[in-house]
Amino acid sequence: MQPIEDQRSNAYEDQRSTVYKVDPAHPESSTLPTLRTEELLLNMGPQHPSTHGVLKVILELEGERIVKATPVMGFLHRGVEKLAEDGTYHQFIPHTDRLDYVCAMYNNFAYCRAVEKLMNITVPERAEYLRTIVAEVQRIIGHQFWLGTQALDIGAMTVFFYAFRDREILLDWFDELCGARLTTSWYRIGGVERDLTPSLTEKLRRFLDYFPPKIDEYVVFLEKNRIWLARTKGVAVISAEDAVSFGLSGPTLRGSGVDYDLRKSEAYAAYPRCEFSVPVGKNGDTYDRYWIRVQEMRESVKIITQCLDQMPAEGSIMADVPSVTLPPKDRVFTNLDSMIQQFKLFSQGFDAPRGEIYCGTEAHKGELGFYIVSAGGGKPYRLKIRAPSFIHMGAFDHMSRGYMIADAVTIFGTYDIVMGECDR
Amino acid sequence: MSVSVLAKQLLDAVMFREIWNAMKVTFTHMFHRPITFQYPREERTIPDTHRGALALLRYDDGAERCVGCDLCEVACPSHCIKVVSTEDESLPLRRYASEFYIDITKCVFCGYCVEACPVNALAMTKMYEYSTHDKRTLLFDKKRLYEIGERFIEDAKKYLYAHNQEKNDQMFHDYRYFFPQSVLKPTQPLPPKHLT
Amino acid sequence: MALKPATNPDVEAATIELSLDGRIVTAKDGVSLYDVIASTGNIVPAMCYHYTFDPFGSCGVCLVMVEGKKAPVRSCTAKATAGMVVRTEGDDLFQARKKAVEKHLSVHPLDCPVCDADGHCELQDMAFQHQVTTLANAKQKLIPEDTRSLVLDFNMNRCIACGECINVCKDVLMIDALQFMKKDGFTQVVAKGDVALSCEFCGDCLAVCPVGAITNKYSKYLYKPWQLKKTTTTCNYCGDGCQMYIETKDNEVVRVTSPLSWKNKWGDRAETAKGHGGICVRGRFGFQYIDSKARLRQPLVRRDGNLVETPWLETIHTVVERLAAIKAQHGPEAIGGLITARCSNEELYLFQKFMRAAIGTNQLDSSARYGHLNFVHAVQHALGIGRMMNDWEDITKAKTILLVGTNITETNPLTAVRVKEAIRVYKSQVIVVDSAQTNIATLASHPMLVAPGTEGLFIQGLVKSVLEQDLVDEEATSKHPQAFTALKQAASRVPLDVIAAHTGVPVEQIHQAAAIFAEAPRAIILCGEGIVRRTGGYRHVLNLVDLAWITGKLGRPGCGVNTITEEPNEQGAADMGALPECFPGQARFDDAGAREKFEKAWGAALPAAGSGASLMEMLKRCRSGHIKALYVIGENPLATLPSSVGVRAALENLELLICQDPFLTETAQLAHIVLPACTYAEKDGTFTNLEGKVLRIRQTMDPIGESLPDWHIMTAIANGLGYELPYESAQDIQNEIMKLLPGYYNLGQPRKISPKPESYLANGYAAEVRNRYRSDLKRKPASGGTARRSFTLLMGQVLYHSGKLSTQASGLIKILPNTGRLHMNARDLEQMGLGEGARVRVTSPKGSLELGVQADLTVLPGSCFFPEHFNEPQVKDLMPVEVDADTGVPYFKLAEVTIEKL
Repeated sequence: MQPIEDQRSNAYEDQRSTVYKVDPAHPESSTLPTLRTEELLLNMGPQHPSTHGVLKVILELEGERIVKATPVMGFLHRGVEKLAEDGTYHQFIPHTDRLDYVCAMYNNFAYCRAVEKLMNITVPERAEYLRTIVAEVQRIIGHQFWLGTQALDIGAMTVFFYAFRDREILLDWFDELCGARLTTSWYRIGGVERDLTPSLTEKLRRFLDYFPPKIDEYVVFLEKNRIWLARTKGVAVISAEDAVSFGLSGPTLRGSGVDYDLRKSEAYAAYPRCEFSVPVGKNGDTYDRYWIRVQEMRESVKIITQCLDQMPAEGSIMADVPSVTLPPKDRVFTNLDSMIQQFKLFSQGFDAPRGEIYCGTEAHKGELGFYIVSAGGGKPYRLKIRAPSFIHMGAFDHMSRGYMIADAVTIFGTYDIVMGECDR
Repeated sequence: MSVSVLAKQLLDAVMFREIWNAMKVTFTHMFHRPITFQYPREERTIPDTHRGALALLRYDDGAERCVGCDLCEVACPSHCIKVVSTEDESLPLRRYASEFYIDITKCVFCGYCVEACPVNALAMTKMYEYSTHDKRTLLFDKKRLYEIGERFIEDAKKYLYAHNQEKNDQMFHDYRYFFPQSVLKPTQPLPPKHLT
Repeated sequence: MALKPATNPDVEAATIELSLDGRIVTAKDGVSLYDVIASTGNIVPAMCYHYTFDPFGSCGVCLVMVEGKKAPVRSCTAKATAGMVVRTEGDDLFQARKKAVEKHLSVHPLDCPVCDADGHCELQDMAFQHQVTTLANAKQKLIPEDTRSLVLDFNMNRCIACGECINVCKDVLMIDALQFMKKDGFTQVVAKGDVALSCEFCGDCLAVCPVGAITNKYSKYLYKPWQLKKTTTTCNYCGDGCQMYIETKDNEVVRVTSPLSWKNKWGDRAETAKGHGGICVRGRFGFQYIDSKARLRQPLVRRDGNLVETPWLETIHTVVERLAAIKAQHGPEAIGGLITARCSNEELYLFQKFMRAAIGTNQLDSSARYGHLNFVHAVQHALGIGRMMNDWEDITKAKTILLVGTNITETNPLTAVRVKEAIRVYKSQVIVVDSAQTNIATLASHPMLVAPGTEGLFIQGLVKSVLEQDLVDEEATSKHPQAFTALKQAASRVPLDVIAAHTGVPVEQIHQAAAIFAEAPRAIILCGEGIVRRTGGYRHVLNLVDLAWITGKLGRPGCGVNTITEEPNEQGAADMGALPECFPGQARFDDAGAREKFEKAWGAALPAAGSGASLMEMLKRCRSGHIKALYVIGENPLATLPSSVGVRAALENLELLICQDPFLTETAQLAHIVLPACTYAEKDGTFTNLEGKVLRIRQTMDPIGESLPDWHIMTAIANGLGYELPYESAQDIQNEIMKLLPGYYNLGQPRKISPKPESYLANGYAAEVRNRYRSDLKRKPASGGTARRSFTLLMGQVLYHSGKLSTQASGLIKILPNTGRLHMNARDLEQMGLGEGARVRVTSPKGSLELGVQADLTVLPGSCFFPEHFNEPQVKDLMPVEVDADTGVPYFKLAEVTIEKL
């Protein structure tokens, strides 16, 4: 058996021969202009600032046009799925922080939801609202980050500064909420780690007032800017059918006009109790996706405001399932049953039922799913992460063919890929 | 599309109006206070919840809180803690951690060890400046961790309070881990209130 | 309470039917309801239940609903009856069980953080499983910890009074060292009589304790279960081959645990016939030598009279150069080798291959020479088989067990547990023939105390008695009438009353014992060190075969002649051919077919058939200068053999002495080159236990220091000598053995062997048997003086030690340190006016020694005992040495001495 590496390069050779190779016996049968006898291979990445991590793409160029693009992945592979099998379900939460490291909260959320589905736990109402609020804050952060970096990649530097300035406010808010700006680990199986304090609520409300005008500011820079339009309109177009077949999700899918959002269709957490619309594009190009993301930021603000208003003032933030959730610390100090619970949960974990579940959650990039196979006991037998970045990279070749080499950067960006999640 | 709209669009295009609009925003920012911190001259205010360097704590009377139960070791997702527990020779039949290591280069600052600790002997502080030329000094041993605990005791207390590990009431103030199995001697104190 | 399955293998219990959760289940009549439920795979939680003993019913968790009863009943103590309708699940039962768990929790201290059992605690599991969350503050018992015992701490604050420790001690081990006692208002487990625990310290109570009430002193507070790496391996102290778990933390052995534990409590009592999973004091508490400070960490080479630490490469070069030089100059016959039977099968095989093929000499021997080979050669000669005939299951289910010359509870404690189970569960009659008041003798139905050294004579008495009482099995003897006549003639030479006078057992008792043995449908003979390590061992084993033959026990299922081995792999040493007489597979060395087979397999010319030498012969050749170089692996002849043999002179006469050992032994101190070897915990391989089971040993930790496995060192030397050995792991050697001896690796289930005495009885038996029946006793009766009396000095094994190895284990030394005192009967001490610790002078023909005395209940009047494990003072030097003419086994465990008071 040949090593995998070789097989891939062989396949690559085949491609080349089918596309370009001129049969020497019958040179006249070739339809290609006689001048061009060789295609240009370009290694883009892994050390390239616009590849959002360490992604390498082998571009086959016909002049400046991309004929074929082969993403080479795994430079950031850390075996996260295998790590999950090593520790308890609870211990895996900090590992999820490092998947999509710019939006850790959503990863926590998706993972906890999957385990809750496995354990059949209902989360208390207040915790559901808290989760929704923080998830939407994270969505705003994610879109700000995307907007800033995408604009920067294309050449518009100013938006980057303003988006990051506002993102900073929210990161500081996270720091105050859970103690870390990026590696949050705030969600817990059955609830959340810490409640909102009055100061946090107040800061968030202030931000909600402050933020919508800022969105308009970002838009001023881009929406009518002719360079932006030239670089995004009609770039990376994918039809609705193709988008569905490639398994795209999130803004990348909705940009092609498919109205599919798990927040609506699965109606998890507090989303069914909030009114919001899901922006859907028409052309399936980068500009539409940009527009959707901007609109989503506005919708997120709406959702957060509604949640803050509707949220019950008092209430538990953790489900009360003694076999899964941790006991309160003051009981651990004085009561044997809680101390036993504490020791059992940390040293052996909870006893998950045998079976397998899949649970997808609408992260700002798309559908982030966790597939867990449990063989009983405190550790997952197998855990598979359906990372949207990875799925989206599958469509890269399809979406980049025929575009200019400079558009490759736009196309990476249009998926909002983060290699931490992609390579896992 | 009416002629006026077309004319406006043409004018906008010729005048580069969208650039002017954007420049307007940029120029207004010249009059905003910069948000940049001049670190290290300026420092950020760090919230109480902040998960910084780990510290080992003592009770107010100076006794070590840690009883060497090794639960932090098993709770740690990155396996960066190592506890060596043994019997305290001077206080017979008491377990304590004779050695305690946290490999801070491996630590992911998730705070699980603090959550796990059944006696609240561990806490996180706001300390984050411990860069060094020698990587070996980043293996925090028991002495170093207690030093951090003494220096940042206020941070640690605030952290425990902020993360619901401790409440600011009498019970937590009086709390001591009581070794129920020690040999009763005339000098042995009676069990504390919360155990009777 | 006989709620366990009817255990008599001869009587089948009636089958009944009952309904379990709506399913009809069949069960044996008279069985505990709990067992019936457990047999369907439905686990009802229980804390005081363990399958090895009768249900006790103290925890109150195993509640089930039985139709017709208003309240839930404890299923363990309820008897399953026909037509019962039982429900095992339901919310009411869950709540009732939860209440029972809460009851235990409510008086349990809040000490999970400091408890050793945390993480391996049934109370934790139960509390967690039943989701107890509303418990009030626990009441504190505040019972001081009982730390009086040497190895165990009793923390009764944590005790849930399940009684598992007491039950396992009483029912399974029949030691009965623990009891409940009401003390300070609480029911507590204490040692019998509330004194410091003094028992066999097997630690099975520790294993079955579901909470942390009984803790191990040697690992207290050092670990939590989740930190430990657990490796299944085989114990290397005795030949029982117990499976056990070595648990390590950072390359340090923290503790040793047994398969017996509260965790595997479900099973059928009948399964214990293959072993109850426990281990003994040596296995459980004698692990410290593995990572001891005294371990050799670097090769040592003698330079200017001193042993100097030298790198491996240089050392191996030196070894190879000097061995090659000696071989070139004096021929291969100038090199000899000794290996210990504590090495794995692979190493024993490799050793003999190394000596025979790489060096080209047949001067090699193993420590099986000290006794076990007597048995192997005897049964090989008489019956054509090379190991004992029965396994543990046969022993457990025997009707009669004849134990000759073995203090089995001390030498092989787990085989002894099989005998105990036979006594208790299967009601077998046990005849114990020994010269000490042993533990097993107190449990046995027919203890026969014989004068020291007359065990062999007693066997003759049994044979004679069988003949005289006409208990002969006609079917077996009629096939070989000539042999039978010869035996009758031979046996007639010693009158029974002479035997009775010598052994000190009345004729009636001999008759009784013979009758019990002969009439039993399943009778097992087990002989031990009192036979195989004392004068005439080979002869006596053959006499035992005679006894089995004429009573028709040969070849009948569940009957046979067996022995017990001291070292873990003595059987393997015989099977692997680490002796000059045999090839691997016990093929004779002079057998032409075998020679051809192995010459071909090893690709080397083998040494001449008659050129071999066993241990004593080799020492002689060393002294005479024929042997110039000796390669000693793990053996320590200097500390084992009496000085009269002249071991020191022999070793000092050598040009090259290579010692390969984990420790710097007395022999190694004389060596020119010392190679650090690994212990069994640091290498892979297999042991063959006394039953013939091949059991795996697994590497549990990295080698200490620079020590290497023995096979690795031997391979390196052989390669250096130009004999290429391609082994890269023990598995490679194993593969080679598998090819040469198909079926030897039997996956823990040895093939049943059947004895074939036909050719032995038909050819030459008559001539041979004539010399076997004789009384060669020259013993003077004990004189009655007070200040100076003659005694029989015995040396033997004790429970807490095994060979010299265990003296490196601090845990065992703590339990039984070398007191340097002679064990004597209290009456003798009194008559001689000696107090505890008084000094006496012991004189034997070989020398004289001053040492203290101590009273020992097990020692008979007129004899005295000293453990063979200790050399301080050098009691072994008082022993006369006699070498068996047939097997070359040196006998030096018995001496006639005079003791005078100082």
